[in-house]
Amino acid sequence: MASMTCRDFHHELDKWMDGERPANAQSHLKSCVHCGALVADLSAIQSEAETWDSLPSEPPERIWTALRTQLESEGLIEDPHPETPEPRSIGWWNDLFAKFPRPVLAGAYLAALVAFAFAMSGTRGNHVKDVKWLDGSTIVSSPLSAQLDSAEVATVASMRQPNSAVAASLHQNLAIVDNYIALCEKSVREEPENEAARDFLYDAYQQKADLLTQMSERGETGQ
Amino acid sequence: MSTTQTTLTPWQWKTATLIVPGLLICSAVSAGPKRQEQHFKVDAHPVITIHNPNGMITVKAWTKAEVMVISTPASDQVDVDAEQMGNRVDISTHAASQDVSSDDMRADYQINVPEDAELQIHDDSGEVNVSNVLGDMNVETIGAGVDLQDTAGYLTIKTVGGSFQCIRCAGQVEVSSISGSFKLVDLRSYHVHAQTSTGNILFDGQFLPNGTYRLKNYSGAIEVRFSPGDSFDLSAMSLRGTVNNQAALTPKAHPQHFYSKFGNSLFGTFNAGRAKVELSSFDGTINILKRD
Repeated sequence: MASMTCRDFHHELDKWMDGERPANAQSHLKSCVHCGALVADLSAIQSEAETWDSLPSEPPERIWTALRTQLESEGLIEDPHPETPEPRSIGWWNDLFAKFPRPVLAGAYLAALVAFAFAMSGTRGNHVKDVKWLDGSTIVSSPLSAQLDSAEVATVASMRQPNSAVAASLHQNLAIVDNYIALCEKSVREEPENEAARDFLYDAYQQKADLLTQMSERGETGQ
Repeated sequence: MSTTQTTLTPWQWKTATLIVPGLLICSAVSAGPKRQEQHFKVDAHPVITIHNPNGMITVKAWTKAEVMVISTPASDQVDVDAEQMGNRVDISTHAASQDVSSDDMRADYQINVPEDAELQIHDDSGEVNVSNVLGDMNVETIGAGVDLQDTAGYLTIKTVGGSFQCIRCAGQVEVSSISGSFKLVDLRSYHVHAQTSTGNILFDGQFLPNGTYRLKNYSGAIEVRFSPGDSFDLSAMSLRGTVNNQAALTPKAHPQHFYSKFGNSLFGTFNAGRAKVELSSFDGTINILKRD
């Protein structure tokens, strides 16, 4: 049996790690500290990699359940099985946001919603084909408008002192913005390719989101 | 047991009639709201934050390296806090008892600051007046009007229904409101962005070279005044309203604005077109008028 050098052993290393253990390789490994250390390291890496393989390749079901529940509660998707019982508590989701004040979340959410609508409806100022624009407009602005309306209901209900002068001013200005949203929506319906009308509409949405955030803050602070 | 009956002499009666009302007046005065004056030494570029639900806030610049706060709460049920954290002075109004309604949470402030101070002001209702402060400024109100004079820096003003007036302001101006009107007079700003829904906008200032001036509302009037020596590139569009123009504009060789298809619009260059002026309204009137 011919003795092995380190170089020979390195050439046979793949086979060794695959389980082939010829006698001359075993003999070399017994006498060579460097190759022994190399094999020990590779074995450790290999066994660690095997534990990774045993982990699920997709997030666990509870993640999808929580995400689905959240999207359904926000009206972004429909529950395919409305008769199913109440979803489990989505504690991790709540924990994630628990440290932020509600007005901050509301504002960030509404702002994100408007930004999302902007992004989805095409680049402002670009020529957009009517059909594409109409599709985009219908898909994007309807849920946005509905979301703002539902946010309005929740925010108005949360205001603690609805009769104060500040609250009266906020309500009055909310009515102004709502009026312009209605006018702009009408213009967009009449002239779907009119980007100026669309700009005014989204600005009005943005104003409403800002205003609802301010009202929400006052609901929280009681001012 | 014996009892003694004392009677007051005429002199004693006279003394009593003078002293007793005086004591009553003194006690009434001491029970009223307390005016407070505080001083804070600061370094360069201090930051002053003011949170006041209701009341008049007057801020003026002075040459001293200190902040002076004179506060007058509306009643004993309202407290005023002013404290220094490093180079920042935080001033706030809060309720001293739980019975105070939000409308009664009022305090007036008179504040002197170094002219390079940065201001952050929240005042829901009342009035905000700032003069000669050159640092950046952020003002947010609900119904309070905002009146700035001889200011500079980056000005960010946001109101819901409060009006905004800016006289001899420089730097950048960004102002938004829903029903507030804006009056921008003798401005020397290179960046002005003003947007309101139902308010009017008056711009009577300089169009600086390379400056951008964007004014937008839904209804109401937008009025811009220009001098013969001004130089700007103009786009004005009212979707449902009218555009009135007194400037002799050179039309663009290639109409590039997509908006021109809709509503009443006007595009052109006045002199060399160095500043950019964009005026837009949903159903309001836009007036571009010669300055008297």
